[in-house]
Amino acid sequence: MPMIDLSSRRTLLRHALIGASAVAALLAGATASSQPRNHATLAMVAEPQTLDPMASTADLVGTIMQHVYETLYTFDAKWNVVPMLAESLPKVSADGKTYSITLRKGVMLHSGRELTPDDVVASLQRWMEQSPRGKAVAKELDSIKPKGALGVEIVLKAPYAPLVSQLALPSGMAAIMAKESIATPLASYVGTGPYKFKERKPDQFVLLTRFDKYSARKEPASGYGGKREAAIEELRFVPVPNANTRVEGALAGQYDFADLLPVEALSRLEKSGGKSVPILTPSFGFPYLVLNTKEGVVANQALRQAIQIAIGEGEMLAAGFGDTRFFVAEGNHFPKGSPYYSTAGTDQYNQRNANKAKAAAEKAGYKGEAVRILTSRQYDFHYNMALLMAEQMKRAGFKVEMNVVDWATLVQRRNDSKLWDIYVTHSGIFPEPMLSPPQLGDGAPGWWSTPAKQAALAAFNQEPDPAKRGALWGKVQQVVYDEVPYINVGKFNGLSAKSPALENYQAATWPFFWNARIK
Amino acid sequence: MRKFLLSKALGMLAVLAIVAVIVFVLTRAASGDPISVLLGDQATAEDIARVQKVYGLDKPLPVQFAYWLREVLHGNLGDSIFLQRPVTQALRERAEPTTLLALMAVAIAAAIGIPCGIVSAVFRGRWIDQLFTGVAMLGASIPSFWLGLVLIQIFAVSFGWFPVSGYGAPDAALAERVHALVLPAAVLGLLNSALIIRFTRASMLDVLGEDYVRTARSKGLAESTVVLKHALRNALVPIVTVVGLTVALMIGGAVVTETVFGLPGVGNLVVSAVLRRDYPVIQGALLVVAAIYVLINFSIDLLYAVVDPRVKVG
Repeated sequence: MPMIDLSSRRTLLRHALIGASAVAALLAGATASSQPRNHATLAMVAEPQTLDPMASTADLVGTIMQHVYETLYTFDAKWNVVPMLAESLPKVSADGKTYSITLRKGVMLHSGRELTPDDVVASLQRWMEQSPRGKAVAKELDSIKPKGALGVEIVLKAPYAPLVSQLALPSGMAAIMAKESIATPLASYVGTGPYKFKERKPDQFVLLTRFDKYSARKEPASGYGGKREAAIEELRFVPVPNANTRVEGALAGQYDFADLLPVEALSRLEKSGGKSVPILTPSFGFPYLVLNTKEGVVANQALRQAIQIAIGEGEMLAAGFGDTRFFVAEGNHFPKGSPYYSTAGTDQYNQRNANKAKAAAEKAGYKGEAVRILTSRQYDFHYNMALLMAEQMKRAGFKVEMNVVDWATLVQRRNDSKLWDIYVTHSGIFPEPMLSPPQLGDGAPGWWSTPAKQAALAAFNQEPDPAKRGALWGKVQQVVYDEVPYINVGKFNGLSAKSPALENYQAATWPFFWNARIK
Repeated sequence: MRKFLLSKALGMLAVLAIVAVIVFVLTRAASGDPISVLLGDQATAEDIARVQKVYGLDKPLPVQFAYWLREVLHGNLGDSIFLQRPVTQALRERAEPTTLLALMAVAIAAAIGIPCGIVSAVFRGRWIDQLFTGVAMLGASIPSFWLGLVLIQIFAVSFGWFPVSGYGAPDAALAERVHALVLPAAVLGLLNSALIIRFTRASMLDVLGEDYVRTARSKGLAESTVVLKHALRNALVPIVTVVGLTVALMIGGAVVTETVFGLPGVGNLVVSAVLRRDYPVIQGALLVVAAIYVLINFSIDLLYAVVDPRVKVG
């Protein structure tokens, strides 16, 4: 063994130590950003499908673009419709057909010009031509035109009570845009919101930056309504499609907000020692099963009723969401406290009665044909619920065939009535029943169209008095339980997380970051 | 040499033509439709048909293929349905993270794999050989997403040395972007070093049994000279092949690793394109990746001649 001089060994050691500490300093320097920052990093579930808020009803698109575009109306913390770009709620004529809307004065567009009724009319026309939600409204529309310096007048063919809610919703948004920016596809995003669009790099970020000339309302903030202030200079929406990575990023403090986390992550977030704060959004959404009323074995209404008897929604929710803190098994389609809370028909919910179902199926003339369940693993809870439902149905003597496909395939196949009998999906719980599920409208997969449906919905849609509409919704819900075009499985809560640095964040179905601050 | 290059080039073109056809047929044969995904849950069949028309998806498949092929021959890969930009631009944006990641990962893999492989071969059957072979076995069997999450938990969450995901802040300098690549490169490097260890070991063992190695030893050369100069040089051909193929694999997208670490690379691009059936992106990206693969293979062929004069080109 060659002799090594001790002093050179020491030098070697010293060099090694210096090197190691230099590396450590480099690492620390790159991660610790102790200087005051004025941006928030917001981890979203995916890259947005588009930034055109009208083109897609995807929640992600609405969540991001509601900072850039505003609507005439919006929802407060109690899901009441309140004015946003409009001065006040519209004046509705006695026959319920004419809506007179007055805009707020002096609202600035991102292009530096004042908003005019022409912008509003052009935007709503585009919305009614292109947005799936707007099209539902277009069917009811007689005319829309500017009136005076700040007025817009909408005339309907028949009274249509959901109109104002439709105009208020952030998904498939009736976004008000600068008239000259309107194009398809949109080349620029000129709205009135507290943030303006800065840059998009797909799969990397969407940057929004504060709009200095934002015209805020005077009322105190409540829900999406009232005063909005861009306290954080820059919002960075980053796509983090891997749910586990979103959890780890929240725990590491890399994100100020992490959207839609798997429910299993709750205990880790709670034990993070204040590095991350879990946020539960109650009554976030509802899973539902759509039944094919047009073709195939469950086009038979009596058989759909037998399936409703066979399944136990409570068990399905437990399979889908695990912890009881994340779901509520109840048959009322709207939560207690909502104007649409009703128990009509809920005795049909969560029966899980195999024998009764078997008898009902036999009476309906069921001869053991396979019931095809179309589901995807894009959302674990869809798949887990479908598996359990299949077992419950088999117990009641049904033959079940599971078709597990990816989400893009599911959304295509469900448009073909020959390919499925039941499919699994979910939706957010919206403040207006007509907004979801689409089966309440015309032509949606499932193709539910019966005299009882039309009668109940016509009464509901034509009643302008909100108090009376509550009671009329009960009748619609009853028809849904009687005819089983879809089965509302229950309600689930949403889990997300925020960093302790993000202050004054209010939990919401479509998370928004105006009025929030970075400490 | 010219003949060699010409025949290789023709072969390359043939491969790419086959890839173009297969990719087109496969993406369209898969069920699913980009427009239903784009428009969201509330879109009616009528809406979908209208937008399909905008993107030319209503035309018969042979017409779509002919159109696409014509554009490709003009160097135009089409526009993404979701990203609002040409596919070539999307690919250019993804090239940096993917290339850097591949180079860093291969550097790590080679730095671990080649020395360990040599040591394993020299000390064949001893404990250190068994240790390295065992580690290589393990490395080949660990799923990358698992190793990724473990490294994230240790080095990003507990120690906070590296970001959990992403490619640095929007205004990040190169150093910060490279910093964001360290963990994913480590995952890929560690896992891919397994293959390199095994190949190096096997190749070295072959060579170490050769007569000229015995001759070199009997000349009284130092063991290190024998191993590193006489043996390694001759064992390099398979090693270079493996390293080259590893690079090619990673340029094609370290799909899982990029997804776990939220890196805006080619792999991520392809995965999200497949999930939402962004046909132009799938087709364009796969074609470009195939071209790179072919080119790398070609470079490996040329490299053989450099590292091993016995291999003749042409």
